[in-house]
Amino acid sequence: MECKRCGNKDPTYFYKGHRGYYCRRCIKFKRVLIDEDISEINYDVNSASFDYEFNYELTPAQVEVSKKANGLITNEDVLLYCVCGAGKTEICVESISSYLAKGLKVCYAISRKEVVIELAERFTSIFPKAKVTAVYGSHHDEIYGDLIVCTTHQLYRYHNSFDLLILDEVDAFPLKGNETLMDIALKSSKGHIIFSTATIDSDLKRVLSKRKYQKISLYTRPSNKPLIVPMTYRNIKLLCLMRMYKIMRNMTNQAIIFVQSKKLCKLLYILYSKFFSSTYVYSDLNKRNENISNFKNKQYQFIFSTTVLERGITIKNVNVIIIDFIKNRFDESSYIQMLGRVGRGIDNPNGEAYVLTSYKNKNVINAIEYINKANSYL
Amino acid sequence: MRCLFCDKEITKYSIKSILLYEDELCPECRRLLKVNRRTVSVDKLKVETFFDYDGIYRSLLIQYKECYDEALKNVFIYDLKEYIAFKYLGYKILYVPSSNKKIKERGYNHLELMFESLNFKKVEGLRIKEDLIQEGKNAKERKQMINNYIYEGSRQNKVLIVDDVLTTGSSIRGVYETIFPYANKIKCLVLASKRKRFHI
Repeated sequence: MECKRCGNKDPTYFYKGHRGYYCRRCIKFKRVLIDEDISEINYDVNSASFDYEFNYELTPAQVEVSKKANGLITNEDVLLYCVCGAGKTEICVESISSYLAKGLKVCYAISRKEVVIELAERFTSIFPKAKVTAVYGSHHDEIYGDLIVCTTHQLYRYHNSFDLLILDEVDAFPLKGNETLMDIALKSSKGHIIFSTATIDSDLKRVLSKRKYQKISLYTRPSNKPLIVPMTYRNIKLLCLMRMYKIMRNMTNQAIIFVQSKKLCKLLYILYSKFFSSTYVYSDLNKRNENISNFKNKQYQFIFSTTVLERGITIKNVNVIIIDFIKNRFDESSYIQMLGRVGRGIDNPNGEAYVLTSYKNKNVINAIEYINKANSYL
Repeated sequence: MRCLFCDKEITKYSIKSILLYEDELCPECRRLLKVNRRTVSVDKLKVETFFDYDGIYRSLLIQYKECYDEALKNVFIYDLKEYIAFKYLGYKILYVPSSNKKIKERGYNHLELMFESLNFKKVEGLRIKEDLIQEGKNAKERKQMINNYIYEGSRQNKVLIVDDVLTTGSSIRGVYETIFPYANKIKCLVLASKRKRFHI
């Protein structure tokens, strides 16, 4: 017995119900019976939609990597290993365009809903003739288009459908450590995949070991300026929080303050909103989108956030403060991503980053080593 | 054996699990599914409930009802089985009818499977007049459910009306009012509730 959706063969995952055997490994994506036929989704792609235009010019390094990726992807998978803010999305545009020109199905999958919304808007302006469809948790009435931008969870809807699948942030939740979701994501592609990431972990190595791929690296940002190395401060929690007050008081730019739990996020917001113009956000907050857009519109100077703003979000002239009181809640890749929010874009390559921690933190040390290594390529 | 919810291998077992029947949830998930027994009022009607409709109960119910995971049928009343069997001895169960379309899609009646292990006799003859799907409806639309039931069975002595979740209270009140002329004694039991009081 084998599950057609997730490829599971472990008999302990199969359960016999009233309709017959089904796989429980991928049950969270709705039941699929063993003898049920899940065929690929057929929809037409407008081959005239391949024209693309940028409002800005790509750097020579980006153009080179982009061409290299486009040349390789027709024959094998590509691992796009770039530092945060290197412009991974822009690098993929040429490959997307060449697939669209042939009338082939393309999907850009990323972990977070907010990033899907933002990316769909960006792709709409990059590909003005293409119908870009955003698919995420509460937005799946329309699932067809020339270019699909979706959360990784939504890939279960497209079994064996895409000729080109771009899996962004492969090292992050929910793909990280979730073999079932990774299998479903891989099975949604019938062609080749671009794995795009800033850190390579053991899960990704395991996946790549079974596939034929080429690695393409880009260690520089479009601004050609080094990545921001954070200032670290280690002391007891109370002193860390007092230090944060001082940092916030001296700050003129906007800042994202990353914390490790929803409870702490709300608590710090209540405490610091008495002194500073601030808001907060976490995954299941009802006014999450409202708070994020208010922050982007510069109505608030500070936003307290859990890892929900860790990846994919680009805010101009933003600084970052990371509060780390719980061991190993933020891993190395989380640190790299959070610190990568600073100094993005050509116009604003500078910024400040602070890490306030209450214990000896190996993940911060590793992240700083990674940043220094990337900066050494400049 | 794996936990049916978190998928981790079950290594610890409760005494009940060793002596009576195996729990299909691991002790961690079972602890999260904490029983909070209370009486909820739907206007003047008293309904006994056991869980708050949030957290793990909600996730389990969604997986069972919307993802069609039949394997979860026994996890909901595992801790309540003896209590219900003893307290409602001699009662016949009347399930709040589900939409026929949903039952057809799932391939099973979710309520009947949940309470199957109690071995209570079932009251037949209650049906929905119009196949209204409640999911995604607002409170006003759900109120239509009150007059949407018809009973075509025989007269009953003791009836226990059961449902999985109290959202607006309109279904349970509708069933209660429909069966009221045909039963000597009626009790209501709903596994989870969103609130403590409902006014229709």
